[in-house]
Amino acid sequence: MTNNKNILALSLGGLLLAGSVQAQENKLYLFNWTEYMDPEIIAAFEERYDVEVVQNYFNSLPEMFAKLNAGGVSQYDIIVPSNYYVPRLIQTGLVQKLDTSKLDNLDNVMEQFQDPAYGPGAEYTAPYQWGTTGLVYNTETFPDAPKSWSLMFDPEVNPEHPFALMGDGQVSMGGACAYLGHGYDCTDMNAWKEAARLLIETKGRETFSGFTDGTPALQQLARGVTHVGLSYNGDYLFFKEEDPDTFATLDFMIPDEGAEMWVDSMLIPAEAPNPDMAHKFIDFILEAEVGAQLSNYNYYASPNAAATPYLDEVLTKPPVQPSEADMERLRFTPSLEGDALQTFQQLWSEVQSR
Amino acid sequence: MRKRTLQRGLTAFWWFTLAFLYLPLAVVVLFSFNAANSAASFTGVSLRWYHQLMGNEEILSAFANSLVLAITSSVMALGIGCLIGYGMYRHRHRKLGWLIVLIYLPIVLPDIVFGISEMAFFVQIHRLTGLLQPGLGTMIIAHVTFQIPFVALIVYSRFVGLDPTLFEAAKDLYASPLKRVVHFMLPTIKPALISAFFLSFTLSVDDFVISFFTAGPESATLPIYIWGAIKKGVSPEINAIATLMIGAVAIAAIMSLLFSRRRPA
Amino acid sequence: MAYTGVMPSARSRAMVREARHLLFTVAPGAVWIVIFLVLPGAYLMGVAFMTNGPYGLPEMPLSLESFKRLAGFGFLGWSPGNLYTLLRSLWQTAVSTGLVVLVAYPIAYYITTCREKWRPIMLLLVVVPSWTNQVIRTFGWMNLLAPGTPLSGLAEGLGLIAPNMGLYPSSFAVTLGLVYNFLPFMVLPLYAAFEKLDTAQVEAAQDLFASPVRAFWHAVFPQTLPGLLAGIVLVAIPAFGMYVIPELLGGGKGMMLGNLVATQFSGGANWPLGAAGAILMLIATFIGLFAMRRIGKRLGGGEEVVI
Repeated sequence: MTNNKNILALSLGGLLLAGSVQAQENKLYLFNWTEYMDPEIIAAFEERYDVEVVQNYFNSLPEMFAKLNAGGVSQYDIIVPSNYYVPRLIQTGLVQKLDTSKLDNLDNVMEQFQDPAYGPGAEYTAPYQWGTTGLVYNTETFPDAPKSWSLMFDPEVNPEHPFALMGDGQVSMGGACAYLGHGYDCTDMNAWKEAARLLIETKGRETFSGFTDGTPALQQLARGVTHVGLSYNGDYLFFKEEDPDTFATLDFMIPDEGAEMWVDSMLIPAEAPNPDMAHKFIDFILEAEVGAQLSNYNYYASPNAAATPYLDEVLTKPPVQPSEADMERLRFTPSLEGDALQTFQQLWSEVQSR
Repeated sequence: MRKRTLQRGLTAFWWFTLAFLYLPLAVVVLFSFNAANSAASFTGVSLRWYHQLMGNEEILSAFANSLVLAITSSVMALGIGCLIGYGMYRHRHRKLGWLIVLIYLPIVLPDIVFGISEMAFFVQIHRLTGLLQPGLGTMIIAHVTFQIPFVALIVYSRFVGLDPTLFEAAKDLYASPLKRVVHFMLPTIKPALISAFFLSFTLSVDDFVISFFTAGPESATLPIYIWGAIKKGVSPEINAIATLMIGAVAIAAIMSLLFSRRRPA
Repeated sequence: MAYTGVMPSARSRAMVREARHLLFTVAPGAVWIVIFLVLPGAYLMGVAFMTNGPYGLPEMPLSLESFKRLAGFGFLGWSPGNLYTLLRSLWQTAVSTGLVVLVAYPIAYYITTCREKWRPIMLLLVVVPSWTNQVIRTFGWMNLLAPGTPLSGLAEGLGLIAPNMGLYPSSFAVTLGLVYNFLPFMVLPLYAAFEKLDTAQVEAAQDLFASPVRAFWHAVFPQTLPGLLAGIVLVAIPAFGMYVIPELLGGGKGMMLGNLVATQFSGGANWPLGAAGAILMLIATFIGLFAMRRIGKRLGGGEEVVI
């Protein structure tokens, strides 16, 4: 009997604890991509402001957006979405304007990131990192791989090796569009339809292994589950550094038909529990040395001009800084709204369910 | 003659099925000790993935969340379900069709429908009142909801199995209803209570979908953490956590075996 | 009590007491389930009849838009995607339930033929894997079926799969995962049925019919039918709504109704469409339950089937 009482007391205590912990003030809830933050930066921030940083992760933007709608809007202090999700976050009222008076280091940001097309007047966003999405492939399987999407979409170029497309529909569709010659950032209805047909055909091939998000795609490649996949330049370098032997046979390339360039920004959800601390965090990341430390850890290019002198050498050359020829072929993923978004969703769900 | 071959075939089939049931778990355990980061080849015994677990605060808190969730929800469900079970027994002659439907509802509802309806509802309530913020609290509520029916049915069937004259005897023996509950009812249904608690606990630990849709930023349980890790693609570490969970289950299995042995049939 | 007039008789007092007793015992649980399951369910059904907002959230006015979408009608005219998903769910459910029955029958029977003191241990051995979380069980199969593993190598050698590919991801892996996940739910009720088997009848049937198949069909099968039907309910309903297994083992090729519903919420796509899918799933579930009850009543000789 006493035993049961103890259990009861214990669990009721746990329940109360769980209730009170959530209400605690001195915490910062960070909702970020996986493998995208140096733990030492978190530790330094925690020490400076005597705050506990609670990190949660997402693998794709649709997942992030869904989580915000499912209550996350009042539970996270900072989110780090990519450019093409910023407009819809603003329009749905899920994010709040930044208080620039609290962000002394905003001047450190490079000029081209200060007034980006996706965040009107940068009122809502502060840039975090930027990078590219390209093809990662096995160089032993494809010793003279063409610099092209055909490695995925052409069964004659890649007849018998498994490959994965990206879970975020807009990137996979963009790739199909680029391969078909409509450009990565196509939004034309007929181009989309053609791309969707290509994707359905591609899915039907025996060697199609699934839709994978960018970071896990690299793990699949490393373990030989796939031989071609879609991933990000910085993640590729990050894992290459961690496991040089395996990654010696994997290479990253930007297809000549065009591919994605993205900018991830820090935003504050509309009902963030601790917006004050969120501003402090953004300002912290925008510091010259912290910004450099972040890029040195992540292997992504920094939008922070002041950070440049502290950057490792690897960050100044491809694939982190794309060659000029590649740069011209890189496009932002278009942000969709209204009928265009609805149409895209329908085409993509058709692709998924076939 | 024919019967012997049939029996031999069945024995072989039994062992084959057991292998089928335990192979995936065995592979997880085996590869948790793999020195290399590979699912295909075993290169040597190493504890490196376990060392990685040790310092991981997220896993520790996920483990704590799983425990708090399972224990709290099971205790609450035990209280509420026990009452219903007794009420159903005591009033079994009435027309309680609506109650039966209500009780079977959480059992037959597909997990995914269960999870998303709670999620959508909690979000709406939170928007209107500020209550029911996604987190351990909402997860406990959801778990209690699917545990209540199982507790109620177990307790009910235990009461049905009792000799009705026992109740009369207890009425004569103990004057106050409270004493009757403490000295007669609870002791008699103790086995049912224990098995109901364990079933609730197991159901809570086994659940992923409902937890996933009702969780908040700080309430990830072990299955949710593992799901995230699979989605992230980091595999060897998952083997190690999963092995710990499999070990816990194995201990529970042995304990339940000893427990059922000691009890007179 | 504001009750004046004639003193209530002892009988009516007892009735009041009984009613109060019923209220006290049953109300907490009933109210709990109503608040935390019936109301959410009703809300979800409401969502299905709302309009899909520009970014996937439900909005007024009410409409039947999401049901049209579910049936495949969209901006681009009719498309068969959702129909494929539904048929795939039904097919996977049927195949995996059938396979589970084929495996569970001999196993349940075999356990009853073993010595009594071994039986609880044998049942425990069948059940224990299901105590671990379904995510872990599925992860085990991901390990086993990946390209380069012995099983995949074997399948490749036999020419069952293309070179370089694994057995996972594939719809075969989904079927396998479903069978693995639900086997214990079929073994338990079948075992209970076999345990109650009237052996005299079986022996009589063995004398009567020359072939063991016919003896089984006429003497054993009808007696185990209630257990079988209960097992089918326990396997087929959760299999039909399964989310985790197709998501992890299907690799984008094995989408089932559960995934269609889930992605509308977890992928931020379209809440009303997801809610409509949930309603479809519920309807299918209740039709299945009802059918099983009917079959059980007709074939089980009036014997009530559990659930």
